[in-house]
Amino acid sequence: MEGQRSLELILARNLLSSISTPAFLVDAEGVLVFYNESAGGLLGRRFEEAGKMSAEEWGAAFGPFDNHGQPIPFERLPLTIALREGRPAHASHCIHSQTGEQHDIEVSALPLVSTDGGFRGALAIFWPMAEAQEYGG
Amino acid sequence: MRIKVWGARGSVPSPGPETTRYGGNTSCVQVTLSDGTIVVMDAGTGIRNLGLTLAGPAPRVNILLTHLHLDHIQGLMFFAPAFRPQTEIVIWGPKSSEASLESRIARYISAPLSPVEVRELPCDVSFREAPATEWEIGPAHLRAASVTHRGPTLGYRLTEGDRSVCYIPDHEPGLGASLHDLTPEWISGYDLAHDASLLIHDCQYSDDEYPDHVGWGHSPLRDALTFAHRVESERVLLFHHDPLHSDDFLDAFAGTATERWCELGGAAERLELAVERREIDLG
Repeated sequence: MEGQRSLELILARNLLSSISTPAFLVDAEGVLVFYNESAGGLLGRRFEEAGKMSAEEWGAAFGPFDNHGQPIPFERLPLTIALREGRPAHASHCIHSQTGEQHDIEVSALPLVSTDGGFRGALAIFWPMAEAQEYGG
Repeated sequence: MRIKVWGARGSVPSPGPETTRYGGNTSCVQVTLSDGTIVVMDAGTGIRNLGLTLAGPAPRVNILLTHLHLDHIQGLMFFAPAFRPQTEIVIWGPKSSEASLESRIARYISAPLSPVEVRELPCDVSFREAPATEWEIGPAHLRAASVTHRGPTLGYRLTEGDRSVCYIPDHEPGLGASLHDLTPEWISGYDLAHDASLLIHDCQYSDDEYPDHVGWGHSPLRDALTFAHRVESERVLLFHHDPLHSDDFLDAFAGTATERWCELGGAAERLELAVERREIDLG
């Protein structure tokens, strides 16, 4: 059995699984430990099918790239900044879904720090630009 | 290891003719270890009666606070050993980035809420934030872990030899999740409670009451039973009774709980509702 997750990750997962905003959750080592159904719709694969992924694996699997089609270095991804620098970060970029679709998205990531100051991981929410335009964003 | 319940009520003391059998005192459980060491879990109003039994020169008393809501600390000021200079009291509790454990408790034991200040207590009292790693008190090994409730809240597990008690009086592990479906790593409190000889767990609400209290930090019967079933504890004591639950209500609730527990495959004699003054010898 996996070791017990921290309460902060458990609560974050419960929150993400209860909302329709696409979102990712990574632990303190950068391992992708959960993404919700909406994120699964965007990525073309449910989390239950994909399972946990290391930082390198999820970076490669969803291939964030810029408006010129260039891959965004791993260290510049908002989630990586939240993890490594312990601060919120935001960016606009494109991702590939597992079904070959391309999505323009806005990403906001924030670190998860417990009340006793322990670093527990980070979460990132995604907003597809097509939906943003639909809502007048 | 012997267990004695001194207060099983949640939220607020509820004395009166409706609660004489289950009791109206708030959370307090005494654990007496094989060498006589006393560990007290929470300091609700039940600790007052416990203190009255500790007459004469008391040994060191360890008090484990799960959190600092009033129903878990209200009895501290009325704990007789705290007013004896020869007593040593060590109070353990959750860490917070906001202030030290002593400072947070002193908000209650200070004017205008209290006629005495912490520094005026005659006993030798110290405050320690529960460590993230296992520690020892007497012959017992202790563990603490954060659990789902409102604000920084711990559950505790005490182990002596092959016997263990897990105490999670305020806990809402099913908030936003299905306890049936989650893998153990994602269940709040799982590691702490797994295989415990005795699990003392929150069961404040009936399933019908719960929809009006989602997010308040407490479990309905279905989640308390599912949690106990998932962690495979040997015995279960349902705890933290709602102040509105009369003895008659709790008698009927106990019947429902036993039926549902048996449907989950549990043995009826392994489940009970906590009753004030109930003693359990874990061997």
